[in-house]
Amino acid sequence: MQAAHSLGSMSGEDIVQTAGLTKRFGRTTALDGVSLTIGPGEVFGYLGPNGAGKTTTIRLLMGLLRPTSGTAYVLGLDAWRQSREVHRVVGYVPGEPALYDRLTGRQHIAYCAHLRHRDDSELAARTAARLELDLDRPARTLSRGNRQKLAVVLAVMSRPRLLVLDEPTSGIDPLVQQVFHAILREHTAAGGSALFSSHVLGEVERVADRIGVVRAGKLVAVERLQELAARSLHQVRARFAEEVSVAEFAGVPGVRDVRVDGRSLACSAPQAALDALLKRVSARQVEDFECSEAPLEETFLGYYGMDTAGTGRPGTDTAGTGRPGGVEAEAGHAR
Amino acid sequence: MLANVLLKTLRDQGRTLLAWSVSLALIVATYAAIWPSVQSQPSMSDFIDQMPEAFRSLFATSSADMSTPTGYIQVELLSFMGPIAVLIYSISAGAGAIGGEEDRHTMDLLLSNPVSRGRVVLDKFAAMVLGTFLLAAVMGVSLVLEGSMVDMVLPTDKVAAAMLHLALLGVVFGSLALALSAGTGHTGLSRGVPAVLAVLAYIVNALAPLVDVFDRIQKVSPFFQYIAHDPLRQGTAWDSVLVSAGTAAVLLALAVVGFRRRDVAG
Repeated sequence: MQAAHSLGSMSGEDIVQTAGLTKRFGRTTALDGVSLTIGPGEVFGYLGPNGAGKTTTIRLLMGLLRPTSGTAYVLGLDAWRQSREVHRVVGYVPGEPALYDRLTGRQHIAYCAHLRHRDDSELAARTAARLELDLDRPARTLSRGNRQKLAVVLAVMSRPRLLVLDEPTSGIDPLVQQVFHAILREHTAAGGSALFSSHVLGEVERVADRIGVVRAGKLVAVERLQELAARSLHQVRARFAEEVSVAEFAGVPGVRDVRVDGRSLACSAPQAALDALLKRVSARQVEDFECSEAPLEETFLGYYGMDTAGTGRPGTDTAGTGRPGGVEAEAGHAR
Repeated sequence: MLANVLLKTLRDQGRTLLAWSVSLALIVATYAAIWPSVQSQPSMSDFIDQMPEAFRSLFATSSADMSTPTGYIQVELLSFMGPIAVLIYSISAGAGAIGGEEDRHTMDLLLSNPVSRGRVVLDKFAAMVLGTFLLAAVMGVSLVLEGSMVDMVLPTDKVAAAMLHLALLGVVFGSLALALSAGTGHTGLSRGVPAVLAVLAYIVNALAPLVDVFDRIQKVSPFFQYIAHDPLRQGTAWDSVLVSAGTAAVLLALAVVGFRRRDVAG
């Protein structure tokens, strides 16, 4: 633990930093110039459809793949050339957690603890108990969910600085997911960071501070989750005592899809426009009013849906990570 | 047994090694059981002498005299059965070393620990070498002990020398399998190429006296290092030991370099 901290303090503020990370397999480009950073205490939600390049990014960070071009650094260490040092401070949950069939959970823990030259069996046993995982069964008899749990136990038991999680909660039931989220929060509260990949936003929106979207090997957007929420559209409906006109509401900045039918109004508005809109509405005599937030998933798809081409906003990626203090403050708020 | 990659690999091979050991002891016991009847049948040697020369070269190394325990074991065990058994084990162990963990997708788990790829290759190599030497030792001990029960007396030091050379033969081809496994990750290829090369090396060495081309390249055959100097009579040939050990060392170095340079299959 001490060694890990001294490594971290020497390596600057970014826990993960990739620049132009590219991986080609033969003629297929699996990952194309991905640059991202993850700050201390930050959970980075890494989203994209299956086959978009999430696992490739993760396996490059773990030094299992050699970058075709570009670089990946973890705590200032080169992920490919210094992979052994990187692994000392990283916990990894692979996408399809493969285990040694004949070894029990406890034996897996013993093996990894020996390879790490540290005894983590106590924390491992406690984590397993929280996840309600039986450590005395051979891995081949475990269900997919239980294999996933064991992979999580093995990843967190050494108290790593960074958790690299490739769809860690797929196959785990919702109650256990909550336990997993709690474990993740404790990890970040202690200053740890995480890369959390998923193909659905719902899986990461409760824990992620920022979201990166990867599609066809390209990082198309990086968003602070809070900002995304701020831009999420609210559906506003109102019924008035008298007839109103479109012009009264269409002028409010940010308001869109204004529809007026006699005495009723329907429109969508981002959070920032709500105040001005409400004032216009309340200038009239209101009979009924309704305002509901669209699910984040919808907003998200609206911005980065499958039909949306282009490269997103290149500036947003680096904007937040230069100020780790701000990241942590906002991270706390986002949860 | 889970303290490091070497012990874990030996633990994984435990049942395999036990099965091989029992089989080898039984094979040797079978030969020992037949020995008394062979000894009382001088015509066996005539039978071999009457074989076509090519055939005799393939099955009986040098001048084998079936009426002595040394000649009998030379023909029956050391020319064919012994090498086959040891090679099947060592090539399988070498081929499965790296590619096997990738096939089962456990390499990601193993390498996510702070273990260097070089260390993984070295430990897997060490496990293959230990396993091969164990099997050769089991065969040697069986020969001496089971042989003494049926008056098939073999000189212990010469048996040890023959087994040393046999183990090194296994290690050379096992290292080739390991190098291919580490460099490519393809278990089938890593098993197939050394197996085919072992057959070729065997034929080259055995038919060298008859075929000019083979005679010129005979010395590169690991079978030449293994048996050409007749270890059961002449004992250890240290130059052959050095050549075999050197070959294995070069292949091991290639395995380390190969594995450190490539992507791990996920």
